[in-house]
Amino acid sequence: MTDPWIRDWDPMIDLVGTDLSDGEIRWGADRVEAGTIRRYLEPIELGSPIHYDLTAAQQYGHPGLVAPATSLLAYTLPAMWSPGQPTNFSDSAPDAQPDRTPINNADPGPAPATTGFFATDMEIDFLRPVHVGERLGSRGRRLLACTPKETRVGRGAFMTTESDIVADNGDVVARMRTSVYAYNPHPTGSNA
Amino acid sequence: MSTDRHIDDVKAGETLDPIDYPITVYRLVMEAGANRDFNSIHHNSRYAQGTGAPDMYANTLFLMGMWERLVRDWAGPGATIDAIRKFRMGRFNVVGHTTTVSGTVLSVDPETRRVTIEVQCADEQGVTVGPGEVDVTLPPRS
Repeated sequence: MTDPWIRDWDPMIDLVGTDLSDGEIRWGADRVEAGTIRRYLEPIELGSPIHYDLTAAQQYGHPGLVAPATSLLAYTLPAMWSPGQPTNFSDSAPDAQPDRTPINNADPGPAPATTGFFATDMEIDFLRPVHVGERLGSRGRRLLACTPKETRVGRGAFMTTESDIVADNGDVVARMRTSVYAYNPHPTGSNA
Repeated sequence: MSTDRHIDDVKAGETLDPIDYPITVYRLVMEAGANRDFNSIHHNSRYAQGTGAPDMYANTLFLMGMWERLVRDWAGPGATIDAIRKFRMGRFNVVGHTTTVSGTVLSVDPETRRVTIEVQCADEQGVTVGPGEVDVTLPPRS
């Protein structure tokens, strides 16, 4: 007999193979620019000149400074707040979350509500380098798998989706498969 | 690290110089600001522990960036990074520990100039991410 919490995921499992998005491109807030490239590279301390030195980048055949390959996803993220929007910080509790954030599980479809969420797996094909001045967005969210599972952190499901990263000239610059675990944490003190 | 590595110089089994990443709160905050993953699990101990994690931990793009630096430092500016596969985060890379990223050349194809490198992250207790694979295309010598 299947546990009820596992059966709660059946509507999501039924959607495997379908695109969960509305088909629109979700554009990043900012174009790729030298300052955000530098900031991306600071904590990982990556110093290749193709990311800092325009002359060096051009010597290697690039039209401009090169965005780090692993940074492309960051350039698809929309703004946390834009003019005209209400405040994003309406609660003064120290651990209060913003009212809106692009990195969450706020659009779970028919999946049961969960409070925990983290990425577990990624695979990316980089189809061409991306350069300063380009704007990136993400398109599609095709559900490839949904597997309910209880782990040491809670009960939930592993879900894998596939998306394209597109540039504003129409090119698909990367294809990405992302797996996340959406779950409800075990009660504090639980030995599960 | 600006020296090009050429396809003719690479052999399967070659190891890449490992890189240590001490995971501090300061670094996690810098990383969140840099890659825009502000999820509190990556910079707030109490919040992270409330989700079942032992403490705040490195986010996905931080860890992927470690892989990119390992490969880029080794391959040089003339290489093209083509793919990352099997990037599996099996354990949290938790604040107060050091994550070491390392790699070994798995295969070399002189015709396509494609090199596949096995990469992993590990801490004092073992592997945390991977082992996965990174494909790069290296320039010819001439």
